[in-house]
Amino acid sequence: MKIQTKIGMIERSELTVVDTVTEEDNARVTATEWTYKNELVRRDVNVNILRALSISGEQESI
Amino acid sequence: MANIQSISSSFKTELMNSFHSFGVSNTRGSSVADTFKAALFLSSATLNAATTAYSTTGEVIGTGYTAGGVIAASSAPALDGTTAHWTPAANFSWTTVTLSTPFDAVQIYNSSQANRSVGVYTFGSQMVTAGNFTLTMPVDDGTTGLLRLE
Repeated sequence: MKIQTKIGMIERSELTVVDTVTEEDNARVTATEWTYKNELVRRDVNVNILRALSISGEQESI
Repeated sequence: MANIQSISSSFKTELMNSFHSFGVSNTRGSSVADTFKAALFLSSATLNAATTAYSTTGEVIGTGYTAGGVIAASSAPALDGTTAHWTPAANFSWTTVTLSTPFDAVQIYNSSQANRSVGVYTFGSQMVTAGNFTLTMPVDDGTTGLLRLE
């Protein structure tokens, strides 16, 4: 199977793939880096947002 | 200079003025939900609670990326206990893009209402090379929904 990269289609077996998971302040990020002969030729990123936005309503007494 | 996660302050008052409609049960003379979009912003941009509308200033530029971002898949708001919540029905994804300048934020805005801003989400500085970028949506409930009114 060939993988699309910045230098064209390359056989999967010729690529080295490393997944890196990092915890950011507000997200869990998975980066997949594909290298060919020690050159980064593709980088995919998936972000899971950990903290959404919320509005808290407050009600004053009359 | 930094992006700061926040609900746009203007969005709060605009909710009260019915500028936004996430669902079809609105009373603005139309039964069509507004179109909401998601756009990516550089780490050097300055989006925050004071951001009132989408602008191309600070937006990412790169191969395979179209200014304005992608459409958030329609989803009706719902209630979980006393918390109203809304989450797009599908992940935000950009396929085969190259974004070489670090970016760290996505802005959700209402493209049906003069691009008024809903909010900004930050996720740590990223770059993409000839690959895919996906923002996976959380479970749409009162605890983790992407946008919640508690």
